[in-house]
Amino acid sequence: MLRLILQRLLALVPLLFIVSVLTFSFTSLLPSDPVDLILGDTGTEEQHEMLRERLGLNQPVHVRYMQWFGRAVQGDLGTSFFNSVSVMGAVMQRLPVTLSLTAVSAIIAIVVGVAAGIAAALRPRSWIDRFATLGATFGQAVPNFWFGLILAAIFAVNLRWFPATGFTPISDSPWDWLRSVILPSIALGTSSSAAIARQVRSAMVGVLQQDYIRAARAQGLSARRIVLKHALTNAMVPVVAVLSFQITVLLGGALVVEQVFAINGLGTLAIGAVRQQDIPMIQGLVLVMVALVVVVQLATDVIYGLLNPKARPS
Amino acid sequence: MTGSSTTPPHGPRQPRRLLVASSLIATMATGVLVLLGLLAVFADVVAPYDPLRQNLIEALQWPSSSHWLGTDDLGRDVLSRLIHGSRIAVIAAAEGTAIAVLLGVPLGLFIGYRGGWWDWIVMRIVEAIVSIPGIMVAIVIIAILGPGLHKAMIALGILYSTSFLRLARGVVLAEREEVYVRSARVIGASDSRILLRHILPNIAPPLIVQVTLTVGAVLLSEAGLSFIGLGVQPPDASWGTMLNSAAAFMDLNWFLAIPPGIAIIVTVLAVNLLGDVIRDSIGRGVAIAAKPEATPTHSGKPAPAAVAEPVVLPRLKNEVLRVENLEVMVGSGAGLPIITDLSFSIAKGETLGLVGESGSGKTMTGLAVLGLMGAGLRTTHGSIVLNGRELRSLSQKQMEAVRGNEVAMVFQDPTTSLNPAFTVGSQIAEVLRSKQGLSQKQAWARTVELIDRVGIPRAEERARAYPHELSGGMAQRIAIARALSCNPSLLIADEPTTALDVTVQQEILDLFRDLQGEFGMAILFVTHDLAVAADICDRISVMYAGEMVEMAGVDTLFSAPLHPYTRGLLEAMPHASDRNPPLPTIRGSVPRPGSWPTGCRFSNRCDFRIKGCEQRIPLTGTDRLVRCIRADELALEAAQ
Repeated sequence: MLRLILQRLLALVPLLFIVSVLTFSFTSLLPSDPVDLILGDTGTEEQHEMLRERLGLNQPVHVRYMQWFGRAVQGDLGTSFFNSVSVMGAVMQRLPVTLSLTAVSAIIAIVVGVAAGIAAALRPRSWIDRFATLGATFGQAVPNFWFGLILAAIFAVNLRWFPATGFTPISDSPWDWLRSVILPSIALGTSSSAAIARQVRSAMVGVLQQDYIRAARAQGLSARRIVLKHALTNAMVPVVAVLSFQITVLLGGALVVEQVFAINGLGTLAIGAVRQQDIPMIQGLVLVMVALVVVVQLATDVIYGLLNPKARPS
Repeated sequence: MTGSSTTPPHGPRQPRRLLVASSLIATMATGVLVLLGLLAVFADVVAPYDPLRQNLIEALQWPSSSHWLGTDDLGRDVLSRLIHGSRIAVIAAAEGTAIAVLLGVPLGLFIGYRGGWWDWIVMRIVEAIVSIPGIMVAIVIIAILGPGLHKAMIALGILYSTSFLRLARGVVLAEREEVYVRSARVIGASDSRILLRHILPNIAPPLIVQVTLTVGAVLLSEAGLSFIGLGVQPPDASWGTMLNSAAAFMDLNWFLAIPPGIAIIVTVLAVNLLGDVIRDSIGRGVAIAAKPEATPTHSGKPAPAAVAEPVVLPRLKNEVLRVENLEVMVGSGAGLPIITDLSFSIAKGETLGLVGESGSGKTMTGLAVLGLMGAGLRTTHGSIVLNGRELRSLSQKQMEAVRGNEVAMVFQDPTTSLNPAFTVGSQIAEVLRSKQGLSQKQAWARTVELIDRVGIPRAEERARAYPHELSGGMAQRIAIARALSCNPSLLIADEPTTALDVTVQQEILDLFRDLQGEFGMAILFVTHDLAVAADICDRISVMYAGEMVEMAGVDTLFSAPLHPYTRGLLEAMPHASDRNPPLPTIRGSVPRPGSWPTGCRFSNRCDFRIKGCEQRIPLTGTDRLVRCIRADELALEAAQ
């Protein structure tokens, strides 16, 4: 297993490198001069020149990249153009917020999706199967942020069961934390749960027809054990393979859903950075996002290996 | 295996109903999209108000006769803004998708054709883009271009071009293999021209499918970007920006969020559903082209079920299993018989062979005893008595207790009948724990014992192996160990040696004999191989088209077969002493259920057929049974 992890980690190094080159060269294409952005019309020609020097903007692109990369490897993603906070600090401060939404919505999506998928697969063409199929079709058409608005209107504004806005860190109060993330996470996770349900259903239908399932039945094992252990373990293999994609989608969705609930996460940071053309912030955000996706991919690869003995390097 | 011939035939009603449903969905979805298009074109005429006209006195009104969908925070008419928003939606979907196609397809074709470094670099970039959440990619591109509808659509176009790029590249790579082989013969035309001619027809179907997927995704992404203020800019009316302002006034007028939300859902739903229908029809075209063989239609007259006189089986000493007049049906309604009038019994320590060609119903008989025939199949008549208890009247739960403890089964392919996700030892131990209530430790000790007993060296170590790490013969030994773990009185073996090498076959047969000596279980041995049956069985029952045609002790059957079908099988058997090809074969093949001849089911393949064969033939005899009206004559003939 350790070997599998190391193998996957090594394979991810070029990806991170290419992403860093891409984001750096992309953001160098920004049409406006950051110095003009920061100083505006104020300041003398001399002050402009000094700032340019300080930001290292008078050096060629590849030199700037090398400097940026060298610092990024040490965890220093530079300083925001606008409020001189460190990019790493700003990102790390918002990261728990976005991670909370992503993680809770992923748990909701997986639990609901797997349960619905199994129920649908066990009784094809029954009402639960039709309902799950219909739900999957609908789930992919409903915008997560709109669903969030509706949930907020009903459960926060009207019934007052949950706070309508804001985020409580888990370290302050785990209960309030859960209450603050549950609505956005449902809004976010529903369409993924529909997609996962579809995957689980089709994988499960296939697995239930396998010889080893019939053999387990012939051995008199209980139906529950056969479905939940023998069939599900195998049905999850193709599902886990697409799970990292779904979690990437959730991570992106969190950026938007945060706005509905006025939660101050990476989404708010990103939107602000785009509006102000805060280059170091955008670069840092993309890199952190990719690092997160890489960690998720690694985790799903390991789970894949655990579920599927054939995928383990021997 | 006889499984393939017994899948429940789908009635013609189900597909037609689905077809009607899908064409109804397609019509409705098309209707919605046409309406949307018309609204977009004629928005200025249809909309009751100017979508930008503010009236702060009438702000945040609920629906009324003058404002059907109410007014927003600046007193603008929601219905008019919704109608104008449809124009943005149409432009966004068309623009985003068009950019994605026009950027992705040519680039994909190019790198697929050029290959080499071009391909490598572009594909690494694509991988990098795909690994970032889509909305973040769009946000970065908007950071460069600035916000606004068209700029956001360029961003989405770039984002979604990656899937078109990969699609086009895949088609080129698949086609170029084929074209290079063929182009060796075509002189004159250049490779690239041939390639292009081959690619265009092949790329169209997946391209259409991808376009429908992309249109829905672009619509949702545009709404999202406009919602967070990076897409369409106020005061222009788009469904996303409408939701943006609705979000701010949710506690004052929640209804503001409803119309744009419904508009987005209905539109995306219509696009997706239409896409599903298109996908299905493209898929169906492929399926029909690839599989011209139509599913067999059974003629109107159903084959007669059990009309023959029931045979009274003599009761055996120490009888374990007794099956009487068993009938198995497939399908709904009246159903189609696949096994009729089947009777046999097996005693303790005895091995009964069930022999016949594939499609004769042998495997189904074994599964019927276990109550595991599968969906659409049911026993409709007769009795199955195991250790003095009628199994047909048992509940699911009771059958579960019988399986494993009283009867177990070994299947044809050992590599697929063991679960690939668990070690072989844990699969045996699991049975011992759940059926016999052994503790973890006891179960494991007993498992290792069993594995050792079935002749696997280094049992402790092998118990920790996964099925794919074992050879076929070894895996079958494990399957046998699992089946015998609870000491069942009946073991059903379904072609247990067919999937194995010839040398291993003999070892497994010896193992069966050996274990039977020790455990004393009765064995129902299903096989198509008479040589194997001769080796292991005490008695043999020959099956043909869902019924038994002959049953006799193994020596009697081989020396003096009574039924013409048995004779045919014996003649088709290769003998070591007789090396002169060709082997005689029985002409034709086993008729499928539903197309059985009305009289003797073998009559259309039989050389001895007479007029009397057109009636149902009963099974006759006491000790040895045969279902042939000319059995006596033929026996005489054989004796001469």
